Amino acid sequence: MRDEPGTRLPSPFALLLGQFRSEWRLYARDRGAMFWTFLFPLLMLFGFGVIFRSGGAPTLTLVRVAPAEETARDRAFLQALGESHLKVETLPAAEAEKRWAKGETSAQLESVGDGYRLRLNSYLVAQGQVAAQAASQAFLVAQARLAGSPEPERIPVVVESPGHVHSDSYAAFLVPGLVGLNLLSMGLFAVGMVTVAYREKGKFRRLAVTPLPKWVFLLAQILHRVTVVVLQTTLLLLAARLGFGITNQGSYLLFAALVVAGTATFLAMGFALSSFASTVETYGAISNLVFFPMMLLSGVYFRLDNAPRWMQASVSILPLSPFLRALRAVFNDGATLAGHGAGLAILGAWAALSFVLAVRRFRWV
Amino acid sequence: MADQIRVRGLRKQFPKVLAVAGVDLSVARGEVFGLLGPNGAGKTTTLEMIEGLTPPDAGTIEISGLSWRESAPEIRARIGVQLQATSLYNKITPKEALDLFGSYYPKRLGTDELLDLVQLKDKAGAYHVTLSGGQAQRLALALALVNDPDVIFLDEPTAGLDPQGRRSLWEVVRKMKAEGRTTMLTTHYMDEAEALCDRLAILDHGRVLRVGTPAELIASLGIPSVVELTFEGAAPDPSAFAARLGAPVEVRGDVWEIPTPDPKALLPRLLTAIDVERLVYSQVHVRRATLEDVFLHLTGRSLRE
Repeated sequence: MRDEPGTRLPSPFALLLGQFRSEWRLYARDRGAMFWTFLFPLLMLFGFGVIFRSGGAPTLTLVRVAPAEETARDRAFLQALGESHLKVETLPAAEAEKRWAKGETSAQLESVGDGYRLRLNSYLVAQGQVAAQAASQAFLVAQARLAGSPEPERIPVVVESPGHVHSDSYAAFLVPGLVGLNLLSMGLFAVGMVTVAYREKGKFRRLAVTPLPKWVFLLAQILHRVTVVVLQTTLLLLAARLGFGITNQGSYLLFAALVVAGTATFLAMGFALSSFASTVETYGAISNLVFFPMMLLSGVYFRLDNAPRWMQASVSILPLSPFLRALRAVFNDGATLAGHGAGLAILGAWAALSFVLAVRRFRWV
Repeated sequence: MADQIRVRGLRKQFPKVLAVAGVDLSVARGEVFGLLGPNGAGKTTTLEMIEGLTPPDAGTIEISGLSWRESAPEIRARIGVQLQATSLYNKITPKEALDLFGSYYPKRLGTDELLDLVQLKDKAGAYHVTLSGGQAQRLALALALVNDPDVIFLDEPTAGLDPQGRRSLWEVVRKMKAEGRTTMLTTHYMDEAEALCDRLAILDHGRVLRVGTPAELIASLGIPSVVELTFEGAAPDPSAFAARLGAPVEVRGDVWEIPTPDPKALLPRLLTAIDVERLVYSQVHVRRATLEDVFLHLTGRSLRE
């Protein structure tokens, strides 16, 4: 023994703190991680939030093929169309056809004999149908005016969220979705991918020959990811508030509790998945197989209300769907978690399964 | 001298191969001890079991009288390890890496002192990804020394280094020895083994074939010299020639090797045989026997094969 002083190992707490600080310092230097973690969610929010900015119904364009000769009925119809929320563009037949062929027209109004016909773009059926509905209504109004009979009444339309509270803004729908997506990618990539890479490249082996306790290393990683999630979520909520005036309608405590539950679930899921791959390439394939279906189908960007029942059913047992439903209920509708028991049980089951797999299958080398 | 490392009956079975088949080793304090053998001889597996990285199937390991089962953290605090490949975070600097790894240990050498020792002072603040292979290797060595270790394990420390890099690593190992530390290293360079190691164990197929100082091992051959005949292109079949010469001829690539205890007596007979057989060769060369010959003699194979 060379010398006796300094034979006591450093305290686990000091090690944990040092390890945590080192994790943050190295993480902050990783530009890719910075982008995907902090910038990407904000870009998504502002990008989609602005594209689908609502407040009033969307302006739709109806292309009207100029009739050979404007009749009184044509003029009355055009006037009624102008009173609707449609933007009417009258074009000569050849130009209208050119526009149609480019695929830019969703709905086109043509004169056929002494009547009319609506042509809808099969690729833009949703917009086309909205335009068609408005055009039909305008047609009824025009006919009533020509006949001197009373105008048909319009049914007033109100756009509202399921919990009757929040506005019709897509950005508001998106915020909880992005929070969930952040958690999912944190678990799958910042935890799972990093674990596989460390193992494959032998970082763990180098640590294993030092007296640093393994649990200290893992706990520091987990603490780091948790602080990343806190920062990321705070940033997103702040951006939503400043950019779109969106705020949490429900209890912040419930919101935070859900985020904690989601973080734990997806963290465990990342560790569990990492045990099924020995190379980064294999893990990339596995994690994408998990990530993309959840990102696209679990309600991050849109709901699957029009999808076949079997698909809705299978997606609802993935962990992200019930998580997002509960998070939206709190954030968008100011609701409690009542009625989300089954969903939260699904989330809990995933958390438990992942945790058991992670603990039983985790490998250092 | 007390044994710093004591290994008895070490075994490791991998799914398809018995990597280590009963190894006994004793390394004295302050010794530089080498494990010499070709790839797949079991050097790394043996080393990793002693380092506590791979659990052995059977056998006992004592380091400074401590066993892994009872005193793993204490052993880890006292040993310094350079693995065959050391992977670090991409964007950590040598200074930060030494500070971070140093913080795991009860006592440590200074970061500046270590950077000086491995000549990385001017790279102290460079990201790890930007270091050359040799620089990264030197950082790995510095990391192995960060805890002021009693025992140092180096797995193929000079693989991939240029001649100057190898020479300066040898200097570091000698300095560590002068400070009273014990070093155990693996290598498949016989010149390195000969220049650096006080004692060597020659391994093949997971077994220790022989242990001794380089001089003892070479002397044990009883053949101080080797006559080499070099050919242009592949060497021809030597059986007829060997019969005429009355001495064994071994073929290695484009060279015939004729080990002999007495080159003075062999050479005239050799030249006669060359004349009679009308042998066309490009060079004849007499050299002293090396560890390579010892290895060849013990295993029938070359170290690099």
